[in-house]
Amino acid sequence: MIKIENVHKSYGAKDNKSEILKGISLDVKRGDFAVILGASGSGKSTLLNVASGLERPDSGSVLYDGENIAALTDEKLTAFRKRKIGFIFQQYYLLPNLNVDKNVKMGAELAHNNDYAEVIAALGLSEKRGKFPHELSGGEQQRVSVARALAKKPEVLFLDEPTGALDEETGRSVLDYICKLQDELKFTIIMVTHNANIAEMAKTVIRMNSGKIVEQYRNQTQKTAYEIGW
Amino acid sequence: MVIGIKDIFKLIGIIIISICAVFVCTLFLNYNIDLQSIENKILSVETKALFDALVMSGTVVSAVSGGCLLITAVVMLCFYIKHYIDSHRKELGILKALGYSNLRISSGFWVFGLSVFFGSAVGFAGAHCLMPKFYSVQNEDKLLPEFEPGFHLELFLSLVILPTVIFALMSVVYSLLKMKTPVLELLRGKSVSKIKAVKDGKDLPFLKDIKRATVRGRKSLVFFIAFAAFCYSAMVQMSFGIDELASEMMSFMILGIGLTLAFVTLFIAVTTIVRSNAESVSIMRVFGYSRKECSVAVLSGYRPAAIVGFAVGTGYQYLLLKIAVEVVFKDIENVPEFDFNLRALIIAAVSFVIFYEVIMYLYSRKIGKISVKEIMLDSVD
Ligand SMILES: Nc1ncnc2c1ncn2[C@@H]1O[C@H](COP(=O)(O)OP(=O)(O)OP(=O)(O)O)[C@@H](O)[C@H]1O
Ligand SMILES: [Mg+2]
Repeated sequence: MIKIENVHKSYGAKDNKSEILKGISLDVKRGDFAVILGASGSGKSTLLNVASGLERPDSGSVLYDGENIAALTDEKLTAFRKRKIGFIFQQYYLLPNLNVDKNVKMGAELAHNNDYAEVIAALGLSEKRGKFPHELSGGEQQRVSVARALAKKPEVLFLDEPTGALDEETGRSVLDYICKLQDELKFTIIMVTHNANIAEMAKTVIRMNSGKIVEQYRNQTQKTAYEIGW
Repeated sequence: MVIGIKDIFKLIGIIIISICAVFVCTLFLNYNIDLQSIENKILSVETKALFDALVMSGTVVSAVSGGCLLITAVVMLCFYIKHYIDSHRKELGILKALGYSNLRISSGFWVFGLSVFFGSAVGFAGAHCLMPKFYSVQNEDKLLPEFEPGFHLELFLSLVILPTVIFALMSVVYSLLKMKTPVLELLRGKSVSKIKAVKDGKDLPFLKDIKRATVRGRKSLVFFIAFAAFCYSAMVQMSFGIDELASEMMSFMILGIGLTLAFVTLFIAVTTIVRSNAESVSIMRVFGYSRKECSVAVLSGYRPAAIVGFAVGTGYQYLLLKIAVEVVFKDIENVPEFDFNLRALIIAAVSFVIFYEVIMYLYSRKIGKISVKEIMLDSVD
């Protein structure tokens, strides 16, 4: 479904240019659960941004069912994200002047999803619906950002460190809920994490180092969120 | 420290408004002072009446436009400092957390007074350049004895030095008040009072929700938009309305000031709106909301404010001119009838709609250019 071919990406002007992605190729099947591991600064977030159409690669292509999104106009790219992509950021990025309910609604409305209260409840946020982001703890904000992405019912869900701010118990329950929804809705997951244990839940594991993929393998069996170590 | 020369140039709005205010006030007050000096040379009763009317209209004009502009400058400066602090909360919080005293941080804000100095000095100098021309136009019919423009130190002190000192002090005091916020709240980045206004309302569609939240989150901007419309409407209609009452030069001056004020205020307000919502827009763009949807959410909520401002401006200029005609010119013969000027209203309304919508369109283009990566780079200020 997603085929990334020889993608390069650099930041910075001519003289202090640094190449972050150095020729990445990757193939992710529909319904896959891919986990990207790698040291801090190895380019994981950048890869996620390019793969999800938030950014264009300098060269190479990003194909969704054969369509190269790197070549789309901004307008088409926006429409593409609206149809297909859900995103959970490392830094949450909630809308600061809207409460939890409205933040989740922002995602839900794009998918004409009126039952988003279910998602809020499943993530243990029912009590917090009327609260604003600045009134929430880091972990609660992270769960709102998860709820917002899931309420959008995306075809592909990108997650950047979705459990970074969560304690073990909440972390497990959030991952468990995401997996349950995946079973039900059959979306594709691409997740970045520092926690190597989470890789045991994945179908595909990708390991990155300094802008390159150094290892890629498929797990024979997948563990659930309650079976992995933490 | 935290404030640099670059920030002073961001105060371009205050500079321009100070130029306008001081320019008008200097011109008319200087004229009045020089005029008083020839009072005893006037012999005939008719000339005396003309003399009184000139003194009076000079005072009215400088009071109305100068005063108006001064109030705007004060409001705008407060707004700027507030905005500056709001958008630099984190840095200020860190400085505070490191142990810098409030006074130490706030004292840096005096440089904001410099922008007032730039503006008022330019305005004062500009007025003196135009003075010879102005004096001869005011006395076109040679009814008054000739007199030359003089330089009055008291005007320089009260129109240039005094405002600079007051604004510098005000900046420091205002920022000192603002700095009372506890460190943690500063570090959290968003001011609490800004947000709590939005009650969990009825079940509106998301785009309506965010439109309401953006407008309510920053009420000062509603005021600015309304004020821009007010200035435009009042000054443009007035400049057409007085073409029979006063000299052409005066009409042009009023027109020029009105357009400048409206443009500057609107420009500042919309820039602030776009900047302070850049993060939200960027998040919405990630999720796939289009440029149009984002600009509707961010910009279109202010249209009612513009309409109200325009209407108030229309009423204001009508009343002001009516009073001026009936009070100031009541003893003078041949003052033309003053009626509501429908033609001026139509011209002002049509041109304002075009003016407003073009600016909004340009800014919605700008919103479209906010990249989805903007928030991650954190380069928005
Ligand atoms: N917009 C940018 N401009 C310049 N350099 C950037 C930009 N974004 C990322 N980088 C650089 O690219 C490198 C990789 O960043 P990236 O965010 O992809 O790392 P990461 O693997 O996600 O790290 P972490 O695990 O800490 O989140 C970093 O060295 C970073 O400094
Ligand atoms: Mg990262």
